[in-house]
Amino acid sequence: MNHLLNLTKKELRELLTPSSVISILVMVFIFMMIGTMVGSEMDNATAPPVIGLVNGDEGGEWSDFAIESMYIFYEETYRVPHGEAVGYIVMLEDPGDRLLIAEKMIEEGLDTAFRIVPGFTDSINNKERTLIEEYYIFTSTGLLGAATSTVSSTIIPFVSGCISLELVKDVTDPAAAVFMLYPVEGNSSHTYINGEIYDGVTPIDISTSIMSQTMFVPIVIMIIIIMIGSIVISSMSSEKENKTLETLLTMPVKRTTIVSGKLLASAIAGLIFGMAYMVGMVFYMGGFTGSMGGINPQDYGLGLGITDWIIIAVMIFLAIFSALGLCMILGAFTKNSKAAQTMTLPISVLAMIPMFVTMFSSFNSLPGVIQAIMFAIPFTHPMMVMNNLMFGETTLVFAGIAYLLVFALITIFITVRLYKSDILLTGLGQTKAAKSAKGLLQKRKPQ
Amino acid sequence: MMDTLVVKDVRKVYGEIEAVKGIGFSVKEGEVFGLIGPNGSGKTTTLRMISTLLKLTSGSITVCGYDVAEKADDVRKVISYLPEDAGAYKGLTGRAYLKFMAGFFAAGEEYDKMVEKGIEIADLGDRIDSKIDTYSKGMMRRLLIARAIMPSPKIAIMDEVTSGLDVVNAYEIREAIRGIAQKGVTVLLSSHNMFEVDILCDRIAMINEGRIVLTGTPAELKEQYGAPNLEEVFVRAVKG
Repeated sequence: MNHLLNLTKKELRELLTPSSVISILVMVFIFMMIGTMVGSEMDNATAPPVIGLVNGDEGGEWSDFAIESMYIFYEETYRVPHGEAVGYIVMLEDPGDRLLIAEKMIEEGLDTAFRIVPGFTDSINNKERTLIEEYYIFTSTGLLGAATSTVSSTIIPFVSGCISLELVKDVTDPAAAVFMLYPVEGNSSHTYINGEIYDGVTPIDISTSIMSQTMFVPIVIMIIIIMIGSIVISSMSSEKENKTLETLLTMPVKRTTIVSGKLLASAIAGLIFGMAYMVGMVFYMGGFTGSMGGINPQDYGLGLGITDWIIIAVMIFLAIFSALGLCMILGAFTKNSKAAQTMTLPISVLAMIPMFVTMFSSFNSLPGVIQAIMFAIPFTHPMMVMNNLMFGETTLVFAGIAYLLVFALITIFITVRLYKSDILLTGLGQTKAAKSAKGLLQKRKPQ
Repeated sequence: MMDTLVVKDVRKVYGEIEAVKGIGFSVKEGEVFGLIGPNGSGKTTTLRMISTLLKLTSGSITVCGYDVAEKADDVRKVISYLPEDAGAYKGLTGRAYLKFMAGFFAAGEEYDKMVEKGIEIADLGDRIDSKIDTYSKGMMRRLLIARAIMPSPKIAIMDEVTSGLDVVNAYEIREAIRGIAQKGVTVLLSSHNMFEVDILCDRIAMINEGRIVLTGTPAELKEQYGAPNLEEVFVRAVKG
């Protein structure tokens, strides 16, 4: 049997145990559940809310106009088809008492209601300011529990605006009155993207849309790196702890094949786990970003073509191999599972730093020293590759690929050298360098 | 009979510690050779150097004519090393473990025969299909012995092979070692159990502080020291 296949199969059997697969599936399920829950909260928050309306000015000319304005508000804000807005506004009788209004709302299952106060029409006709009261039932303490109350911040100014326009119709120069109400229009934006000017779009529209599509990439890459790291380091430590490494190293098989088998199996397991996480993460992030970003970045020259996706795949593949190489080196120095946990820390830090930086900042906006540090961390490159390709930063992309290639080769070369040396079995404890380091530490200890 | 193993003036230095200080011995084909000595005397280091796990600082070791420093890959084809307290992959079943190990030595029909042989030597009955982490120490040791013997090595190197086993398991394993030696396999073993060394080994070398202090058959050594058993020989040799 092919030795590499034999080793890879064994490693996969060890890595893909029912318990590890179940724990990943549970995590994915949790992500999906959270995503679905948040998504449903978001949908509730962004869907046209059903509100109650108490008309204390029954039969009044301006109260009827206010109700009609509310229907128009639903049509314009929530894209409710003409004539269907009536389904979202539940008319309630006016009991004349605040508590009774609240009880009626509970009876009807409403958490927001408005009350046009008695004498509404008379007040407007007499040019006196009047009121539309707001009533809320506070029940949900969730993340978006208060979202429905925000409808009042837009619906009342809208109704007020409609009444203003209706009032100015009767003045001698209606056009001048409308101008006086709205002298400046602010609905014409022009944004420069990659050498082109695009009309009617702002950077926030584009970044919101791009973010909704790429936000989960650094998170998923971080998870894959940490997962692969812990898989490789644990595999190495368990080989030592269970005393199987010595036997394995005396098998008639080249050390490079043993290293390759471990790398390949860890990469396969890491990718399977990473893909599972990605599915969960897509659901999770979908919950947050489902209603964000109504524009398509492709329309603004920011889409990704087939070549771009190939570059992304190459970058992720190289990053995975760099992580594997680095972890194999760290794993060579672990003696047991406790040491393995400690050894996972540097990998986790190296994966988390670029994740946070790329999520909250762009590479070009960083100071020079930080840029150099970020470039040196191999996991930065797959995390920022999508954005770099969208914005035409090809030099940075290809420099990243070259760096990752060199990094992966060096780490794998060091790993093979370690597998051929005594260090794998004896550790660093007996070497001159380790002894002098220990001696230095002891000298520095306070007596 | 030709020498299967020749160790010449071998030294091993770890940093400032010289673990093995120029030892030399040879083992003939089909011979059971015992390496005995107190803890930290250099037995395991010597076995690890013979098994290609550690590099020699100086000297030479040849196994079946192959130099361990130059032809490590060829050496690994003819040896079978069973380290002290060796374990197996706990997530695998006994059968899967033997299959995995046999995969390094054979393919096709020969592979199937080797696995069957391993299962027969392990003699674990239905438990061969149980996960290894459910095995007792004795069962684990039987599986590992089966793994070591199954590929019919030219030389089997066993470090403290019966350490920690009960009387019955230790007896069965000693019988297995005797059986392979009768079939022509050279056995190099280290042990603290002087009774075991006495009844199993054709010749022994006593190692102390990285140096070989005695070599001979158990009978010769007992006669040399006028001692009734190897334990007394051992104590007198070590204490000078």
